[in-house]
Amino acid sequence: MKISIIKPGMLSTVQDPGRYRYLSQAVPVSGAMDQLAHRLANKAVGNDDDAATIELSYADASFRAETDILVAYSGDGAFLVYNDEIMPAEKPLFFCAGAIVNLIANTAGVWTYMAVAGGWEVPDVMESKSTYLPAGFGGLTGRALRKGDVLIHNQSVSRVSAQIFDQLRQKGIIYPDWRISRADLLPHDRHTVRVVLGNEINWFDASSIIAFLTKSYTIDRRSNRMGYHLTGTPLVRKIKKELLSTAVTPGVIQVTGSGGLVVLMADCQTTGGYPRIARIASVDLPVFAQLKPGELIRFSEISAEEAEELYLERERDLALISTAISLKYIKI
Amino acid sequence: MTRFIDMAEQCAYFSADYPVNIYALSEQSVTVEFGTIISEELLNLITGFNQFLVQNPFPGLITTVPAYASLTVFFDPLVVIASDLPGKFSFDKVSQYLKKIGCAKREESYTRSDTIVIPVCYGGDFGPDISAVAQTNHLSTKEVIDIHASGLYTVFMIGFVPGFAYMGGMDTRLTTPRKAVPDAKIPAGAVGIAGGQTGIYPMETPGGWQIIGRTPLKMFDVSRSQPSLLKGGDQVTFKSVGTDEFNTMLQNEYENQHY
Repeated sequence: MKISIIKPGMLSTVQDPGRYRYLSQAVPVSGAMDQLAHRLANKAVGNDDDAATIELSYADASFRAETDILVAYSGDGAFLVYNDEIMPAEKPLFFCAGAIVNLIANTAGVWTYMAVAGGWEVPDVMESKSTYLPAGFGGLTGRALRKGDVLIHNQSVSRVSAQIFDQLRQKGIIYPDWRISRADLLPHDRHTVRVVLGNEINWFDASSIIAFLTKSYTIDRRSNRMGYHLTGTPLVRKIKKELLSTAVTPGVIQVTGSGGLVVLMADCQTTGGYPRIARIASVDLPVFAQLKPGELIRFSEISAEEAEELYLERERDLALISTAISLKYIKI
Repeated sequence: MTRFIDMAEQCAYFSADYPVNIYALSEQSVTVEFGTIISEELLNLITGFNQFLVQNPFPGLITTVPAYASLTVFFDPLVVIASDLPGKFSFDKVSQYLKKIGCAKREESYTRSDTIVIPVCYGGDFGPDISAVAQTNHLSTKEVIDIHASGLYTVFMIGFVPGFAYMGGMDTRLTTPRKAVPDAKIPAGAVGIAGGQTGIYPMETPGGWQIIGRTPLKMFDVSRSQPSLLKGGDQVTFKSVGTDEFNTMLQNEYENQHY
């Protein structure tokens, strides 16, 4: 399977679950900003979750299918359009060679993921296919996609993917009648995310902690794959000692010297020296990642145990989705 | 979720002098904080503990990240939960395991890290801030070079950008504050000073360190099995080289293929 890029969109890169084994050498995790959408796009074409997808920010992208292809998309930044018709998300989509596919704006969010059967094939760099733009490695030669780029799929296509591909082609249809319900995995209120209080919580005065847990904050324009800056009630410190740089990870909320909040995202540095008031629960990080500059966010406190239970429950739900899809195509 | 651990005297890594604080950084990571100061003694403790843990991993361990005074472990919660480690949540399972390892009798003395010699062409276009360092400390630029090139440094941490080594052990006569306004572009290989530390920029980035020279070595190269030339705990010495030698080494470095 092969596509060529007609319009790359604002920022499109190859991403996967991320690069965890080189953190001690200060190599960021990178990977998909919205891991849930990345995983659902993969599942919809019968891939494992670690297959590489194309991450698009916002829309205005288009590509041409150079061969027959089986793809799927998920996320909130774009709708996939073929023959002037919006294609359903979280469903396998079969396009014949020559098809022109467009991605048009979906104002709901920022990031959209497009998976292909087998995953997009780029070389592994430090055991991951994720693109890290600041240092120019990973993905397609360490850079964002450009007009004219050709992307191919990885040959090791799963049995499920092969079955989906063959059935759609034989029936001459674009997609089957089933789909993954992403909405079931998302909260009703996408402007509230759950947080677990951080190790330096007691460095802040009580009124600041209350403000953090009750007031709305606004996603600032200075937000990118490294971190989202928030504006709102500044947080005041009671204890003014220095924090020695220590490991940080996406989802951690740091408080800068001026009392501003920065939520660390996929491309964040591996260590940081700002006190950490809280961290976003791992299940809510994809929801937070889709917020656009100008949107409001509130934080609601949960315990670390609750965060872990939510994580485990989410993993069980995602495993069930994969099993259900396999059972549709593979006879036991 | 914080645990303060009672110190037993026989603890190999969790020394009574440094009460350990263990906390969850995320659902997939736990940090062991050994202290709140920078010291060689703490670094040795953390380096030894890290080596022992990597040799004796718990089920689900993915990687470890040493920093100045802490070690963070990343793991797969699904594997940890499925393991028979004691505890209900993965935080309990991992922190109890770390406590056990930290208090284990030290079986062997830990491997002293490598000493790496780094050639540096000091001053001139490569070290635009060497006169600022000299003026701050009432030294000549030659004295700055002599002092910097005769020290033995210890890598405390790799952070900031891939392969950036924060090194301690610098002669206090070279202590110079960071620039008030960071430079927009510092080239790869630039050797700098910030406060009492020295460091090398592995790639072009903005930065606020006082730049005194440049190394021809690739500090970070994704084609090497260990992309970062330095790692936490390494010992480093600098060797002053001239421009011709620098250029020859630079050429060799970029022609060699590392696999």
